[in-house]
Amino acid sequence: MMDFYDSNLVLIQATCTGLILALSIQVPLRMGVFSFAGAGSYGIGAYLAAILVIEQEVSAFVAIGAAMLATAVIGLLLGLLIFKLNGLYLAMATVAFDLIIGVITINGGETTGGSTGLYGVITDFTMGQMFALTVIVLALVALSEVGRTGRRVDAVRDDPELALSMGISLRRYRLTAFVVSGALGGLAGAMNVLVRSAIGPLDIGFGLIVLGLTMIIVGGSRSWKGAVIGAIIFTWLPDILTAIGEWQELVYGIIVALAAVFLPRGIYGVLVDLNKWLRRRRRERRDPPPAVAAEQAGDIDPKPGDVREFALNEETVP
Amino acid sequence: MIWNARRGGRRKIAVAAIATGVLLSVAACGGSDAPASGEGLPDEIKLVSVNPTTGVVAFAGASANKGYELAVKEINESDLLGGSKIKLEFKDTKSEPQTAASALTSAITDRDVAAVFGSVSSTEAVAMSPLAQKRGMPIIYTQAGSDGVVVGDYTYRATPLMSSYYPIISRFIKEQGYKSVGVMYTSVTPTLQEIGQKTYPQLAKELGFEITKSIATSATTQDFAAPISQLLASKPDVVATLQVGASNPTVMTQLRQAGYQGKVLGNSGASAGNLKPAGKAGDGMVWPVDFNYQQNAESSQKFVAAYRAEYGEVPLNYAAEAYDAAYFLARSMAAADSTDREAIKDAMKEEAAKTFDGALGKDLKWENGTLQVPGVMVEYTTEGEKLLYEGAGE
Amino acid sequence: MQDLLSVVTLGSIYLLFALGMSLTWGTIDILNFGHGAIFMFSSFTAYLVLQQTELGLPLIVLLGLVVGALMSLLIQVLAFEQIIKRAKDKRTAEMQILIGGIGVAIIPLAIAQHHTKSNPFGFSSSTFTVDTWTMGDLRITNIAALSIVVALVLWVAAAVWLRRSRQGLALRSIGVDAETAALMGIDRRKMALVTMAVSGGMAGLSGVLFTFGLGAITAESGDTLLVKAFACIILGGVGSMLGVAFGAFFLAAAETVVLTQTSGSWVEAVSFGLIFLVLLFRPSGVFGRADVRRT
Repeated sequence: MMDFYDSNLVLIQATCTGLILALSIQVPLRMGVFSFAGAGSYGIGAYLAAILVIEQEVSAFVAIGAAMLATAVIGLLLGLLIFKLNGLYLAMATVAFDLIIGVITINGGETTGGSTGLYGVITDFTMGQMFALTVIVLALVALSEVGRTGRRVDAVRDDPELALSMGISLRRYRLTAFVVSGALGGLAGAMNVLVRSAIGPLDIGFGLIVLGLTMIIVGGSRSWKGAVIGAIIFTWLPDILTAIGEWQELVYGIIVALAAVFLPRGIYGVLVDLNKWLRRRRRERRDPPPAVAAEQAGDIDPKPGDVREFALNEETVP
Repeated sequence: MIWNARRGGRRKIAVAAIATGVLLSVAACGGSDAPASGEGLPDEIKLVSVNPTTGVVAFAGASANKGYELAVKEINESDLLGGSKIKLEFKDTKSEPQTAASALTSAITDRDVAAVFGSVSSTEAVAMSPLAQKRGMPIIYTQAGSDGVVVGDYTYRATPLMSSYYPIISRFIKEQGYKSVGVMYTSVTPTLQEIGQKTYPQLAKELGFEITKSIATSATTQDFAAPISQLLASKPDVVATLQVGASNPTVMTQLRQAGYQGKVLGNSGASAGNLKPAGKAGDGMVWPVDFNYQQNAESSQKFVAAYRAEYGEVPLNYAAEAYDAAYFLARSMAAADSTDREAIKDAMKEEAAKTFDGALGKDLKWENGTLQVPGVMVEYTTEGEKLLYEGAGE
Repeated sequence: MQDLLSVVTLGSIYLLFALGMSLTWGTIDILNFGHGAIFMFSSFTAYLVLQQTELGLPLIVLLGLVVGALMSLLIQVLAFEQIIKRAKDKRTAEMQILIGGIGVAIIPLAIAQHHTKSNPFGFSSSTFTVDTWTMGDLRITNIAALSIVVALVLWVAAAVWLRRSRQGLALRSIGVDAETAALMGIDRRKMALVTMAVSGGMAGLSGVLFTFGLGAITAESGDTLLVKAFACIILGGVGSMLGVAFGAFFLAAAETVVLTQTSGSWVEAVSFGLIFLVLLFRPSGVFGRADVRRT
């Protein structure tokens, strides 16, 4: 066990930072805000934490706190600028924001280390602290998915007019999405640089957006559990695929494409459907109504992959 | 101290910080990472090469691995390690820093692994070095010419920094009688940026030529027509262009299309078949490099012959560097008479104080953990690379 | 003047590439992230064929066109149609298509990277030679001239097709209101296939011309162009043919100015900055009409 932990430490750390990065894109998405600004905040957070540690020799918590605060404020400002945009337009604006951050780091001279980036970021940050932060974030995000907050968030996303008529301020929710996304992105970036000790312009490019988005789409975009599933899969998959050898990239591409095409609600969605289906089967077996008896005989046996079957039950999914 | 003096004080602090981190971690775990150290070498010594064999820098990683493989084969057939055999494993980084760091971590955890050959890519190397230094894993890189790679006594780089041998181009500039140079460089890699921003202005001062124009290009620049026409409008005697491998054929093609027929001062990124798509337009590009298979040194020719016999082709500089890295490690392990990582580290330090003859040339020496090499000057022609002169002859 | 010519050449490459993307995005709501991969792989296929036999320019161009169109059709049938069939609303479909495109694009990229080891490849073994024509101080290569002509012809053709033909009308109506269009008896599937094929053909064509013009490209070249094409489309306005041409030439001009007048490392900031600014002040683009804007 300890051996496994030691030899896969980097992947375990990457799972945590990848998860929080994924959440920084998923949280706004759940509020109907198609924003990738989390990836840019990741870059800002990483560089800011690195600069603070190298130049001011601050402790890990100060670096993380400062990075999160800064990225939350930047998120708010960005939100104020572009919260009126929608759909793919908003997505493109935030992608542009992310890429501009990358260009700034290349041109930042001494402060950002140019194309080399920054290295030697060594602090007292421990794995225990990393796990603790990850769990706290997960718990907070999970809380926002249930109860009153959860219902309001769903309303803001699915039916903005209804939400308005219920007296929910769309503007406030959307701005909150930007702030939370910023803070989460900043946290992920800061934690990453503290465990990896180096950050460069190549680490915060377009690939980061793709990674975060792939995690939540394949894992499941409506629940933090989906983000967890996605983060685990896409952090460990490349490592597992190494066994295949030279065609690993190809297999990776095929897996992403298949998941995007055939699992519209992600793996988590499939699991939920599967669970629901099993429960119904069990209930029916206990007390089979006449109509379902035929189904049990195998006539209209719904396949777990057939998600349309359950699409109508979507809103009851927690 | 090229790698340190460049960025001044803050870099030193960074290096010092890593060193402190090492002390702390050593104090904390009491060297528990070290493999059971008995006297003498075990029958089988496990080494790992963490290099990209897929992805954007695959061509360099794959070539380096051939060099390692050849050296290991020779060492195993020789008596250098007193009958012990090296078993070399290859881990593909996929040109991703995270995969590289991860592969290194598993190597560190595996107590049987005595040392690691680090990645050719700077971005991967920068991600690996702090780990290796902190947890006491001897690691030898090739290429990886950025700051933050050689960070302490566990980290070595068996490739000279380009800026250290690039000045041998002076002789070419003097011989050709160039009085002015137009420079176009990419800001993507630190190495090439440094040559464009620092080395050329310095050469200009020393040799008394004029830099008519200096243009930086970016990572997404694919069409160089506009900067080239600007460059030529400044009427330089010769054009210097410092681009990553894949951009070189385009720059050469477009320079020729723009009516420039003279020589082009380039960099070794143009080798490894990168110029081939340019066809005839690639002729006349010259560059300094740390190794060319035609160079004279006896030890280099011995390597070239062995490489030809093994692979049926001539070696690239990446293979030569890796070959020397493997021998350096083998000599250190023989001197340490142990595969204990700390013992290897100490032996490497002793070994690096000596000069040696290797694939890269004669009387090579180490400076601050980085190999120093006189370098050679080559010219590209469609038929192959032509050796112009050797820095060793200066 | 020479600079102006460089701008026009670069702009026409951007236009040729962005035209296909704009066409699918503006009409059938498909933002195809695989467009860059089609661009690269068409050129790569031509390179592979050239290793075996000698071909002249017309055949290579034709090859690029056909490969591009076929790849695009394949992506549409195997990925995008499946996604649209399964998605429960338009927004999910949009996002799913985005990801699907990214996933699909990895496949040709991996094949080309594996084969070339990421070394650049070009058409130096073609029988066609690039010549430079000189007029006074001006220089232009025959391939650059060809690119400009092809880009302009295709652009005009696409604009006319959209505006004048019955198919074009059908397509535009899908873009404005898909349901009503379907009620009017427009076969959406067929229209989408035609559009994707046209778009892919344009990508393939631009890939081949681009490779000729630059001497060589690498497996990763398509990805770089993808972001630039976004900038062109958004700048001009999604769905506007006039807009995409404006965007392409404006971006080429802006980049050239930055590259030659300042330290070039800020060039990338130009395309990203333009996207951002235009979205901020005029979300429908310079030539976009607010009423066709989809959210």
